[in-house]
Amino acid sequence: MKNRLKVLRAERDWSQADLADRLEVSRQTINALETGKYDPSLPLAFKIARLFSQSIETIFQDEA
Amino acid sequence: MTVASKFPKFLSTPKAKVAAALGLSGGVVGFGSGLLIGKLEKAGAMTVEGLGWSDLLSGLIALMLIAMGALVLIVSVSRKTALRVLDPGSARDATPAQASYYRQQGLVCLLAGLMLAAPVLAISIFDPLPSELAAAVMMGIVALFLVQTVGNLTLWSRSDELVRRVMSETGAASFWILQGALFLWAAGEKLNLLPALSMWDAVTLMMASYLLISTLVAGRRGFGS
Repeated sequence: MKNRLKVLRAERDWSQADLADRLEVSRQTINALETGKYDPSLPLAFKIARLFSQSIETIFQDEA
Repeated sequence: MTVASKFPKFLSTPKAKVAAALGLSGGVVGFGSGLLIGKLEKAGAMTVEGLGWSDLLSGLIALMLIAMGALVLIVSVSRKTALRVLDPGSARDATPAQASYYRQQGLVCLLAGLMLAAPVLAISIFDPLPSELAAAVMMGIVALFLVQTVGNLTLWSRSDELVRRVMSETGAASFWILQGALFLWAAGEKLNLLPALSMWDAVTLMMASYLLISTLVAGRRGFGS
């Protein structure tokens, strides 16, 4: 699954650690999400969507 | 041209420095332990010669776990060094919760190493091992096991979803691989085609496979980057 997490984070000038603090996860989780090595759970996807005030499908796109 | 500029750029990154420090610590621990065991054996305080392959392998795994656990505990005592060493990508101080989480990880790792080392050390230091002492060692192992189990369960509840996913995938992959391998070995053993494995052999194989698989799974999920 592709996502716009890195772009959204860069627009706000946040580091991976800053975003991790806001989402209450580890920095490694943010790194794994941004590099496509891990797809978030639904609760985390909702949390990300709420944080950036965007819909889930705007942030995450199915590659299929 | 300066000396530093002769090296590729990636060698001066925080990750490369941490990797070099960890490699050096591993070398020192390995060499130091080998030297100590050699001296103890020479002095007659320890017998290594009669140990089987699983005793040697579990001893090596135990040493790695103890060294890793001790290192994590030491660096996570300070919030300044905790994240810089254990998560070089962060490049900032750990929060009190992060430092305590790492300390707990270090402690769980250290306890696992001590539990694995205890039976091998007991039989190599005391030959023959008196039954009272064997019972005392066993009681100590059970006590460590209970503390370590609580530590492991607490770690699970304190971990975020990526760490839990890595733990689950490691558990699933380990079960799938080991049930197949041990079944095939057991079948061969039943048919008198393969030598018998002891429970200690099986546990050592399980521990070695689990650690290897967890490293692969963690790497696949981006840990260390």
